[in-house]
Amino acid sequence: MLSHEELQRYARHIVLRDIGGPGQQALKAARVVVVGAGGLGSPILQYLAAAGVGTIGIVDDDTVSLSNLQRQVIHGTPDIGRPKVASARDAILRLNPHVTVEAHAIRLDATNARNVLSGYDVVIDGTDNFATRFLVADACEALERPLVAAAVIEFYGWVTVLMPYATGPDGSRNPSLRAIMRQPDDGRAQTCAEFGILGVVPGILGTLAAAEALKLVLGLGMPLVRRMLTVDVRDMSIDALDYEGEPATGTELT
Amino acid sequence: MKITVKLFATFRQGRFKIAEQDVPEGTTIADVLDTLAIEVADVGMLFVNGRHAEPEQRLAGGVVLAIFPLVGGG
Repeated sequence: MLSHEELQRYARHIVLRDIGGPGQQALKAARVVVVGAGGLGSPILQYLAAAGVGTIGIVDDDTVSLSNLQRQVIHGTPDIGRPKVASARDAILRLNPHVTVEAHAIRLDATNARNVLSGYDVVIDGTDNFATRFLVADACEALERPLVAAAVIEFYGWVTVLMPYATGPDGSRNPSLRAIMRQPDDGRAQTCAEFGILGVVPGILGTLAAAEALKLVLGLGMPLVRRMLTVDVRDMSIDALDYEGEPATGTELT
Repeated sequence: MKITVKLFATFRQGRFKIAEQDVPEGTTIADVLDTLAIEVADVGMLFVNGRHAEPEQRLAGGVVLAIFPLVGGG
């Protein structure tokens, strides 16, 4: 049950016909994990916490550094040198003491990914490398957990929802990450450290990812399944690309 | 034949966002990447009419080819 204080805190949610008391209860009962407490993870964690997601997992083995603070807004100057999971947990509890935080100060690998992620209903990927992105996507596919995946570089970003264990309206299986994206050597991939990143870009993509996670918990609207939203801040354009995974038969694409 | 090429993220810089191109019959995606000076190893996602595609595949007239770089930062 929601306390009197919680009813007040979430009043603007509860007044929404599509959320109401039952929806807010569903948020409180939900367990959502965010992989990466960096540029994307910061707004994701803040909005999940403010929205009243009852249990929030954070996975990150890094510590806060000065060059993070231009975009990783959940951390502050006094947090430099602290584990990101500890800094993020403190910020979340300051924002909303009704939330339980589960801090995983580890780097996900093949031995622990399924074990960690299986404890959650929804997984959000905001990591900074492709090895972890594919590890998380594979684990979510095996565990049958919806995955909200977002990525950023320079002035650009994308976000999509992957549910490859489920079928779409046409009866065919939704594509997996591997069905639409090539896994590169991480040396080839564009990193924020090398290419740079405008600080607000992960803010925009992170809030979009948080919105998708809240929608999944609430069973609200249309999730970005088979659809990739791309953001270009240079000309401030947003494109939605509908995609399928399976290659066409034959060599000619029509 | 005419195809439409859509570029995303960093691939737009110094190139274009969307362009119609006249290409010879039998053109592959790799040929298009060549003319755009995009290395296959830098490509993250390829879609033809929204369907995942591989560089060696040949294109038909009228298709929309979408090319994404390896955007994976967080």
